[in-house]
Amino acid sequence: SLAQVNPGIKRRDDRVQSQANLKVCTIFSFQDRNQDRNKDGEKKKKESIFDLSKYIDKQIRVKFQGGREASGVLKGFDPLLNLVLDSTIEYLRDPDDQFKLTEDTRQLGLVVCRGTSVVLICPQDGMEAIPNPFIQQQDG
Amino acid sequence: MAATPATNPSQLLPLELVDKCIGSRIHIVMKNDKEIVGTLLGFDDFVSILRNLLLSVSLFPQGRRITKLDQILLNGNNITMLIPGGEGPEV
Repeated sequence: SLAQVNPGIKRRDDRVQSQANLKVCTIFSFQDRNQDRNKDGEKKKKESIFDLSKYIDKQIRVKFQGGREASGVLKGFDPLLNLVLDSTIEYLRDPDDQFKLTEDTRQLGLVVCRGTSVVLICPQDGMEAIPNPFIQQQDG
Repeated sequence: MAATPATNPSQLLPLELVDKCIGSRIHIVMKNDKEIVGTLLGFDDFVSILRNLLLSVSLFPQGRRITKLDQILLNGNNITMLIPGGEGPEV
């Protein structure tokens, strides 16, 4: 009983206050959650798995959600993957084309790309078009 | 990041560039076929954008629809690209 915990309690008001104090202490102990910390007990640091600084001042191709593609020189970035591209060329898709590189392009200049809609980043000369390897050859 | 922006001061931060554009013309490309041109009044952490005096251009394969709007708050969810000083598609 409460009188055993706190022998100083004689009045009813003291008892009520003591009970309230006990409840408050219990609540605070649940705040410290292990999943917010590393094994060492330090706060987790936000790390990127990909280092974009090696692409600075290089021509890169970026693909977006919704099918847009653009390429330009990477001038800056942040951990949220927002990008700054210079001399940007946007490649547009029509409903009836798979991918026509030379047509449907437009120059955009200095552009900020939203990291939330970026799905792919690669060097401009790191990709080439190859004939479709999945089409089955039909031999007569 | 292995090389944080702090260790690479010569690069340009994306949100800095948008910040410089406040008060001047900007052209915003959405994820779908919509684009918006107007004056940038401000933006927030999620890049929701407050804009003034703008044209909303919807691009369709057949053609386009141009709507004139006054002052809008644009939700940053669907923004793909921001082009400071942009003219928009040929008007």
